[in-house]
Amino acid sequence: MSRSDRLDSVFGALADPTRRAIVERLLARGELAVGDLAAPFAISPPAISRHLQVLERAGLVERRTDRQWRRIRARPQSLALAQSWIERQRAHWTAALDRLEAVLAAETPQRRKT
Amino acid sequence: MSDKELRLERLIAAPPDRVFAHWTDPALLIKWWGPEGTDIPVHALDIRPGGKWRTTMRSRDGKQNTVSGVYRAIEKPRRLVFTWGWEDEHGQRGHETEVTVTFEAAPGGTRLVILQREFATVESREQHARGWASTLNCLAQLLSEGGK
Repeated sequence: MSRSDRLDSVFGALADPTRRAIVERLLARGELAVGDLAAPFAISPPAISRHLQVLERAGLVERRTDRQWRRIRARPQSLALAQSWIERQRAHWTAALDRLEAVLAAETPQRRKT
Repeated sequence: MSDKELRLERLIAAPPDRVFAHWTDPALLIKWWGPEGTDIPVHALDIRPGGKWRTTMRSRDGKQNTVSGVYRAIEKPRRLVFTWGWEDEHGQRGHETEVTVTFEAAPGGTRLVILQREFATVESREQHARGWASTLNCLAQLLSEGGK
């Protein structure tokens, strides 16, 4: 998957309140059994499973099997990808606005016809 | 790091109509579009609702980056909404966001606010405008604790 595709899947996965809540719960609690993870959510096990698939595809969570237990945990490094994208975007705007200010300051407001 | 989305605010020492013009007149826009030292060798800016825009920025070291989108709303001189997606070297557009710029008269000039939403689709953004701030807060906390 390209960087951009990964970003899409991370943002897409996080654009849902249940999935955000799942990620937050895993970040707060560490690794959980799938049943324990699902406990506070008033949705069916198949629905939880679908959400987990989306999160797993985005790399936001990973599963492992510990004897008969299926366990799941967050992968914070995938969130860092989204965060660094936002920070780069912020740097872009900040620099462009510095330049906009310089352009406006260099013009003579009274004579400017726009 | 508590941002619900990317939000930037700046007080600019010029009235809203002038600032707005610098965002919506292509000849003025390309004077500042991009960081210091950038020029815009290629641009196509159809600045009207539904119009497409595309700019290629070239930095001093010759690197080129292209970004494009569609104008969704142009409300002179108060508000501007457009989509935003960086293109890769094959012209493939990446993750798309929506940018809303508001221009508000303020003492000393214009209060400019840029709001950029990270959600993959407008629908999801509308439904979940609250964003995923707390998710990122959890991450920040986790990282500051030295966790992996």
